[in-house]
Amino acid sequence: MKKFLNKPEDFVDEMLEGIYRAHPEVTFTDGDMRCFVTAKPVPGKVGIVTGGGSGHLPLFLGYVGKNMLDGAGVGGVFQSPSSDQLLNVTKYVDQGAGVLYLYGNYTGDIMNFDMAGELAELDDIETATVVGNDDVASSVVGEEHKRRGVAGIFFLYKVAGAAAAQMKPLAEVKRLTEKAKSQVRTMGVALSPCIVPEVGKPSFQIGDDEMEIGMGIHGEPGISRKALEPVDAVVEEMASKIFAEQSYEKGDEVAILMNGLGATPLEELYIAYRRLGQLLDEKEVKIRHVWLGEFATSMEMAGFSISIMKLDDELEPLVAAEVDTPFFKHFAG
Amino acid sequence: MQTLDAKSVAGLFPRFADRFEKEREALIELDSKVGDSDLGLTMAKAFRAASDAVGALDAPDLATQMKTAGAAIAKAAPSTMGTLMATGFLRGSKALDGAAALDVAGLASFWDAYANGVAMRGKAALGDKTVLDVLDPIARCFKAEAEKGAPLEVACEAAAKAADEALEATKLLVAQHGKAAAFQEKSRGLQDAGGTVACILADELNGFMKAAAAS
Repeated sequence: MKKFLNKPEDFVDEMLEGIYRAHPEVTFTDGDMRCFVTAKPVPGKVGIVTGGGSGHLPLFLGYVGKNMLDGAGVGGVFQSPSSDQLLNVTKYVDQGAGVLYLYGNYTGDIMNFDMAGELAELDDIETATVVGNDDVASSVVGEEHKRRGVAGIFFLYKVAGAAAAQMKPLAEVKRLTEKAKSQVRTMGVALSPCIVPEVGKPSFQIGDDEMEIGMGIHGEPGISRKALEPVDAVVEEMASKIFAEQSYEKGDEVAILMNGLGATPLEELYIAYRRLGQLLDEKEVKIRHVWLGEFATSMEMAGFSISIMKLDDELEPLVAAEVDTPFFKHFAG
Repeated sequence: MQTLDAKSVAGLFPRFADRFEKEREALIELDSKVGDSDLGLTMAKAFRAASDAVGALDAPDLATQMKTAGAAIAKAAPSTMGTLMATGFLRGSKALDGAAALDVAGLASFWDAYANGVAMRGKAALGDKTVLDVLDPIARCFKAEAEKGAPLEVACEAAAKAADEALEATKLLVAQHGKAAAFQEKSRGLQDAGGTVACILADELNGFMKAAAAS
């Protein structure tokens, strides 16, 4: 293992110390650095709370900020935060209008968010839940509830955050977020594994000349492992899996997220995006928004994911809304 | 004894706490075979916290006791098993809502809600070799005893026996959940660690009720 660390067991907390030093607009509650919240809650607004394991920055806490999320439970590397931490975040974030839980489809996270919601109910805080499951590779059509949540949750954060910022009620924020979820699909590809600091060795083995299409952001098995091909062919295969799920026709509008997994340079992401753009041009699909960079990573894993969200008149303005968070800023206009 | 008042029922929690303290090493040993060895620690912490929290209440009714215990367990034991036990007590609390005293019918609905809560939160089915494989027989036993009109101490003795038999039967099952699932066939022949926790709850409830009936 070759990482910039002090002690592996301090990885998460020392990362958090650095983040709090760098970004005074976020803070923590209950004396627990892992209960990550905005320093400026908006009175009367529906709170949006996310959470999950560490090792994916900017996910999850990086999107806590203006017009996006209000709090995040921070777990150990690839581990769920506890229900008690999520409850404390919930109590801080609740401004009387209830709280939306928005996180990825993983067993531990579901159990702890559900538990937190049940405990919050005892404190008369209303919660609702939307679980992201955008990873096309992780299960077949008809079994979407088994799909993992990956980078596409970025679009759900944007929609939920914008809807809440417009002071919409919890049920409406949830409806719009569910609608966004139904329109987002993601496919990933990985070239190399990541190393969990406290484990100290790679999470899986892959040959120097191999890639794995559909691998999850914790190294979960994908659809196929094979010899690395030119990036155009890789993008064509990934896009074809997404195109097979939903119709993308002439005149349709989409938003794109090209997400690096941690060790893939921006240069390569742009080369990949070039081909994706060509494919959508061929379909005469209009690309309204493109975000390219690192949004949901897996530490030093090499690879990238493509997320496509289909837009309509209701969702587009929410995706286009301004946000200002420590890790992501989007100024409209 | 057909009913037990809420004030007396609160005495159950210190007994749970002391018992899990005593069982700590045995549970660690059991869990180390297919799990991550933390079950003994988390259960000792969980039930000590539950006992302290319930003990701090002023004349709580049954539902409040169970709710307080559940919330304290969730806070003190953020592991999977801790979360499942917390869910059980919270759901059981709803089943006892409005009950002034504990009777066998109340215990039947408490354990039914407890087992259903654990099944839902843990997404487990009967036969998966989990705590549910002991909780469900406990719930069914109390239901049968309630229909018979059995006194509390008789019903609790029957439930403890049912739990014991159910725990023994878990040895024949193959684990489907958690870290133990990775061991699959190797888990056959081993007594389930989670089931052992449920068995301890039933056994301690039995001891508690015997003592209460005798006094």
